[in-house]
Amino acid sequence: MKKHNDVTSLARDSRFERLSLEDQFSDPRNAVMVGRTGGTGMRRRLDPARPGSPDRARSLMHGIFTGEIQALEGAGRTCFDFEVGTGDDEVPFELKLDMARQCWDEARHCEISVKLGEWMGTEIGEFAETTVLFEAACNPDPVLRLTGVNRALEGLAIDVFNTMREFGAETGDPLLHFCEDWMLADEVTHVKMGSDWLRRLTEKDPERRSRALEFQRVVDKLFSGAGFRGEEEDSTIRLARRFRELAGFSTDEIDEISELSRQSRDEARARIAQRALTEAS
Amino acid sequence: MAKVIVTPETYNLVFFDSGRIAELVGEAADKAGFAADAEIRVEVDERVPLGRTKTVSLDPISIWVEGGAFEDAKRPRQLSDQSVQDVAGRLLFRAHDRLGGGFADAPDDDGLTLPQQVAWDAYAVGRAERAGLPASRSRRLYHFRNRHGFNDVADAAFDRLWNGVDLTWADIEAACQETAAAKEAASA
Amino acid sequence: MADAKKPRAAFAPWDRRELPGSFTVEETAKRVGHYKWVEMRLFEALGGWVPTVPELDVKMRLGTHTYHHAWHADLWNKRLPELREMNPERLTAPANDHIVEFFEAMTEPEAPEQTIEKLVGVYRVLIPAKIAAYTYHLNNTSTITDAPTIRSIKFILHDEYEDWTNGEMLLQSLIETDDEIERAAAQQIRLEKILLKAGGIVGPGSLGGESQASAETVGAPA
Ligand SMILES: [Fe+2]
Repeated sequence: MKKHNDVTSLARDSRFERLSLEDQFSDPRNAVMVGRTGGTGMRRRLDPARPGSPDRARSLMHGIFTGEIQALEGAGRTCFDFEVGTGDDEVPFELKLDMARQCWDEARHCEISVKLGEWMGTEIGEFAETTVLFEAACNPDPVLRLTGVNRALEGLAIDVFNTMREFGAETGDPLLHFCEDWMLADEVTHVKMGSDWLRRLTEKDPERRSRALEFQRVVDKLFSGAGFRGEEEDSTIRLARRFRELAGFSTDEIDEISELSRQSRDEARARIAQRALTEAS
Repeated sequence: MAKVIVTPETYNLVFFDSGRIAELVGEAADKAGFAADAEIRVEVDERVPLGRTKTVSLDPISIWVEGGAFEDAKRPRQLSDQSVQDVAGRLLFRAHDRLGGGFADAPDDDGLTLPQQVAWDAYAVGRAERAGLPASRSRRLYHFRNRHGFNDVADAAFDRLWNGVDLTWADIEAACQETAAAKEAASA
Repeated sequence: MADAKKPRAAFAPWDRRELPGSFTVEETAKRVGHYKWVEMRLFEALGGWVPTVPELDVKMRLGTHTYHHAWHADLWNKRLPELREMNPERLTAPANDHIVEFFEAMTEPEAPEQTIEKLVGVYRVLIPAKIAAYTYHLNNTSTITDAPTIRSIKFILHDEYEDWTNGEMLLQSLIETDDEIERAAAQQIRLEKILLKAGGIVGPGSLGGESQASAETVGAPA
């Protein structure tokens, strides 16, 4: 088996269908959504009062499910791709152990997601799968990989699980609330792992640390996707400040993610408005 | 088969085929009990990837959908036969109900509460499934529980509606009252 | 319990543990180092395979088992300094070149169509061999002086039996044709032959007696 594979190596059964980010962003209907959603083109807050909210929750949960599969795959590859050592392309033994532990946690999250999907009336593979998480998990530098996956993406998972947990509480869905609560606990642990390893591995290498943080910013911004995640009233996924603090994020770092989300939303708004203008003329 | 008129005829933003939509809706109309000479109009707003749907008129039967409602969730912008028949089955069984006497007291679609809507949907989709149209019982049950409570009373009411035959608006209202009472008792 | 001062035997009549064991501290450390090396290669391989396996149930199971073997590696890593090996990396080594060759052959299957070959290597060859070597160690070490190793082996064997069963059941549910039976058998034969040359997962003497193979030992302490 060769080291360092890429997103094309992800094996799936026939139920799964992959959707590229380009396809997602080049959908011409995005422009039409401008007027409807406060200019972001994105869908609004997951509000139980809306008739379509159970279906949106189903679709979000399916996105979480495929994210869990990729998180499992990414952690598995980190166990395999790097030898134990002190070089930049090597990792400490304990880091590998943490990644193996994360494999088990993500495998449980997949199991939970399958059961939860059944409960919500969702079939495996009912919605398209995007693969950004695994793409971040292919970074050849272990520090960048862990920062991108464990801090940016697992950080997003904290925000998503918290939002879904609140949705479960509001709708009185006991199983949704129960599952999200448990998964949230694991994700806080994973983000903490990412923060701890970033600090330890770059203690004497500030340049590498800033490269890792820059990679995190890129991933964070991508996932703040045009206001999808943020602190605005209508963000689909709300930034979970309290749980991020538990996971080792400083207030400044959380403020920064909030700001990135705002920027990403403004940029998307401008981009879509520009496209609408071009199409109208 | 009922005569189905789909607008628009051609699409620019999605890869839909109005002929195929007409065929699928026609089949669903037959199964919902519409006569072969009935006329059914379908208006698709292709610009919107969301999934809202409604019946805008009963004479002639006109349904309006956002493009997302007919879309394949796995393949954006592609038509899904299953989605078309799922939506058409639900709306047409309900429209057919309104044309009979048993639903004369039902408010307009805009006046229905969310619990009333999903209760009526459960009754409509249950019949659609038995008629051979694609339908997901577990998805409808999840919608129902979200609006009527995650408890045994709600599940029993759902079963009654899903398996119901010749129900009337009074039956839908009774189910709603029953689940509301159970919710109230649980929170008291 | 009437008289609290009454002398009692230090070993209760039913406690038949004995001092003598088959391994010295040094031999135990060497064996434990080999165990750690094997557990590491195994958890890395399982983790590496996760993305390459299309079957969802197998994918999730491999994720769970990855952790089991990593935990075993950690137990052995912690045991080494207790066995006077202050540099655990020094003894974290394969028993010989054939065991390295075995892992190379075991991890060769990569394509999504090769789940059977992947599982056969782990669950029909390696894990049974691990169970054998661990059980031999458990039954032959001193039940008094080496109690910490025994405790770890018992925890590990619990995982191994369960994982073995899981893996075998996955295989039985995946194998549906004569051709697949032959594929599974061919992979098993290929790997068993290499393992025979290695003399078991910790080399000749994996199950006692040095006669089973003549493989040269590498990575042993000087
Ligand atoms: Fe997870």
